[in-house]
Amino acid sequence: MELGLEGRVISVCGPDDGALAACRLVLAAEGAQIAESGLGEADIVIAAGRVRAGSDLLAAADADELYGAWTDVTAAVDSYRAALPRMTRQRWGRLVWIGSAQAKSVDAEADELGAVASLGMLGLNKVVTGELGSHNITANAVLRGGLATDADVADAVAFLCSDGAGYLSGITITVDGGAGSAVF
Amino acid sequence: MDYGIAGRVAIVSGGSRGIGRAIATALVREGAKVVIAARTVANLDETLAELEAIAPGHAHAIGASMTDPPSVERVVAEARDRFGPIAIAVSNVIGHVIDAEKEGSGPGAGTFETMPTAAYREEFTQLLVSSWALARACVPDMQAAGWGRICNIGSGVAREPSTHLPHLLPNVVRPSVAGLHRLLAARLAPDGITVNNILTGSILTERNRSYWVWLAKERGETVPEVTRDMTARIPLGRFGEPEEMAALVAFLCSDRARMVTGQSIPVVGGGSAHL
Repeated sequence: MELGLEGRVISVCGPDDGALAACRLVLAAEGAQIAESGLGEADIVIAAGRVRAGSDLLAAADADELYGAWTDVTAAVDSYRAALPRMTRQRWGRLVWIGSAQAKSVDAEADELGAVASLGMLGLNKVVTGELGSHNITANAVLRGGLATDADVADAVAFLCSDGAGYLSGITITVDGGAGSAVF
Repeated sequence: MDYGIAGRVAIVSGGSRGIGRAIATALVREGAKVVIAARTVANLDETLAELEAIAPGHAHAIGASMTDPPSVERVVAEARDRFGPIAIAVSNVIGHVIDAEKEGSGPGAGTFETMPTAAYREEFTQLLVSSWALARACVPDMQAAGWGRICNIGSGVAREPSTHLPHLLPNVVRPSVAGLHRLLAARLAPDGITVNNILTGSILTERNRSYWVWLAKERGETVPEVTRDMTARIPLGRFGEPEEMAALVAFLCSDRARMVTGQSIPVVGGGSAHL
């Protein structure tokens, strides 16, 4: 499938723990380039949340620690916003969040802090879609769960960045090998 | 129907006005001992007098900020001293303040392109920290008793963000709050504690009336034009009453609702597109 990513410039935001590196590799293989001078030249921004397996909301010591877990959201907000002038000007942009599948289907092993941050991003994606969809900028999420590998996640991200995904915005693709049990 | 909560101790934050007052009233009518907490003492006194008139000796009021965790812990300790271990916690703190002069400190309306990052934290504190702090302070009592009810007054925008209104912050923070309660439900179920979240729609409260005045000014419309536009989106064709919110909350806090947990339930007059 031709994804139409040749020459597109990508920028990533978040912990460099595998998924974002895999995204860079997959998108580069499709002809995309890595931004050299920051978010202002990006056509595509991929933001990822931190993963803290088994994290426990009630164990957070205070409001600062609780908010610290959620700053993945504000980091993504800052990155998205920095890229908007170019995306708006050229009437093309792709914003993709990589978060936790626990945002949609909870199990006992939940990364609770990651799930709460991801839910904020799903709300944000709807807002961005409402405000900027008419500029041909899309905002979507890949929710990772089960035994998904970095490459599994990156392939879904690449699809959401492609020309063929131009009518998808404010949506989520759960990449969890069928692990989640929620129907909707 | 006997809801089986006579004598149970409940805390209702934001309990002095509107939806919180209606919930406190409903719980007192069921025989619960209810502590209401809010910032404005004058409103608290008035509501306390109403509750005392229904059931003397069943209500107590505490003036406090319910967004600051140490302050929440003090409220819970005082409630426990007064009535005994906490069994029911209803979190009802508003966020997203439109007119700071009228409604106290808090972030205003805005768009993605213009909203300062710091405002996200203010909304997070109002909505998420407040309900987290109340739950955390009450859970030990509930665990010791093997029975507890946690209910959060959330918003319909948690599931369906209102992109036709200029309100970024609740659209982003409310889903996180819904997630918090879903996750707490999973964690606390073995202790006999249920955790649910209300997806509130347009309810006839003083706050909403002042919001509609603000929105009319913002849009250059009259208040009746604004409310007509809003009711047109509601299949039941009208706004909800605070007592209709309280009816659901009282049920969820009852012994009858013991098998209902981890749910986000809309009170939106049918105006939810979600299946």
